[in-house]
Amino acid sequence: MEPGTFERLNLFFNIGLPVLALLLAYVAGSLLERRHFSSIRKREEEHFGFPVVTFDRMPPDWEAASSRLVSGSIVISLDYFKRVIAGLRAIVGGRVKTYEPLLERARREALLRMIEAARQDGYDGIYGVRLETSRLANASGDGKGTAGVEMLAFGTAVKFDTRFDSGNRF
Amino acid sequence: MTLGAVSGFTISNTESIPGRRIVEFYGVVTGNTVRAKHIGRDIMAGLKNVVGGELKGYTELLQDSREEATERMILQAQSMGANAVVNVRFATSSISQGAAELFAYGTAVRVE
Amino acid sequence: MKYVAKKPEDGINVSDTHPLVEAGTLVVGLSLIFLAIVVVLVFLVEIALYLVPVEKEVALFEDWLPEDLVTVAPNDERLGRTQLLVDRLATHWGDSPYSFRVEINDSSVANAMALPGGLIIVTTGLLDEVESENELAFVLGHELGHFRNRDHLRSLGRGIVLSLVIAVTTGRDVSNIGLNIADLALRGFSRRQEAAADEFGLELVYTNYGHVDEAWRLFERWDERDGESLGVASYLSTHPQADDRIENLERLAAEQGWPTAGRVTPLRW
Repeated sequence: MEPGTFERLNLFFNIGLPVLALLLAYVAGSLLERRHFSSIRKREEEHFGFPVVTFDRMPPDWEAASSRLVSGSIVISLDYFKRVIAGLRAIVGGRVKTYEPLLERARREALLRMIEAARQDGYDGIYGVRLETSRLANASGDGKGTAGVEMLAFGTAVKFDTRFDSGNRF
Repeated sequence: MTLGAVSGFTISNTESIPGRRIVEFYGVVTGNTVRAKHIGRDIMAGLKNVVGGELKGYTELLQDSREEATERMILQAQSMGANAVVNVRFATSSISQGAAELFAYGTAVRVE
Repeated sequence: MKYVAKKPEDGINVSDTHPLVEAGTLVVGLSLIFLAIVVVLVFLVEIALYLVPVEKEVALFEDWLPEDLVTVAPNDERLGRTQLLVDRLATHWGDSPYSFRVEINDSSVANAMALPGGLIIVTTGLLDEVESENELAFVLGHELGHFRNRDHLRSLGRGIVLSLVIAVTTGRDVSNIGLNIADLALRGFSRRQEAAADEFGLELVYTNYGHVDEAWRLFERWDERDGESLGVASYLSTHPQADDRIENLERLAAEQGWPTAGRVTPLRW
């Protein structure tokens, strides 16, 4: 019955805080996403020309000197703002657009990390690549919980024989 | 049900396409989509869940989404100048409550 | 078969809808859906109210008491006095189908409630606040007004319906955003009910005492104590702000020509 400070506090906690958190999450989240994408693009440019294929067998024109299993993975989470939108989307159904950039950047990052791991050790190509997604933490629809997704890329990295042999042939 | 029925484009889940020869290969291509079902479908599926059996609404939703993921994968391949994707794999994973990711990937190639 | 370095076009796997556009569409769309649901539910509750006559309500809730009620001793003087006051006020409501029961809840929060079956609950906090019988009579009259308009069932019905909606949408985000919207819309309705109950209560007070002096004195004290109040808070509150209520009551008294000065009956405890 009695209006007063309680009402005002209530108003702040029920409407003010969530809106503030959403705003903050949106600004910070978009900034981080943009930076991540530009880093991915730059590194993809660097590794342009490094063959990565999903073939089960090695391409016939490759001559392997050695091979090794390589992998790259990342656990990534969506910002609170996008998570809330995704939660709203889950009511009406349809394409959850705010999740797409997250998965895209996670997948490209995982592939890049796999490529970087292979190149660091002097490998020349990767075949038999497999990609896996798994939901790590429990993200409930109300924007709470961690929307953690793990992306894993793995494949067989190959060192080409020709590169080292060319000088030694008769 | 045929997936990725694009004229002049072939997709295959094996490494080769019978009767065609791969001349060039370009690299990994991916296609994904995240879809959520609406509450109505949820409720119907909940009811259906009691007696078991096919959840038609979900079957359709996932099939549609897989089709879209395949289309996106083909778009990526086409942007590289490929006319086929080989060794295609599909994956479905639950991203958050009520939302699933449908994912398709393979190697973009050029066949004769 | 040879390797040719190529890169797929960027952005194929990402829809180009801006997240803010997506957010806007969803929030506006869902709000409209929720408002529509609320309107339908309110309508359904009205139909249910029409279908359940008072006699049935009384029969159903005859001996019912809320479980969390902290009652005072049955020989508490305030209980008997308040019951008498309610009965006296009820005689001015000509064909009241209820036989009212008064219970006192031992709680420091000043409040009064109208519950199904003709049960009126006042808190000890309220009894401590009121300074004359006229003040108490108006609060009780206000609750009788709720019974006359059957608001007590209305809010019960809406509560049940809302919790059903919550059950369906649980675990999703809407529960919060949508329910807040639904709640706001319902508060709009509820404030109109409060005003109607106020008017009926004032009429009972006038019929009983022949004047309306001190009827809204309680609200005036609350208003003074709580001088500055937030504009939005008034919309968020279920009851109208004290000053709005006072204004409404003063206007009504002036319209009806009810004297605002008279002999005030003191409390007899």
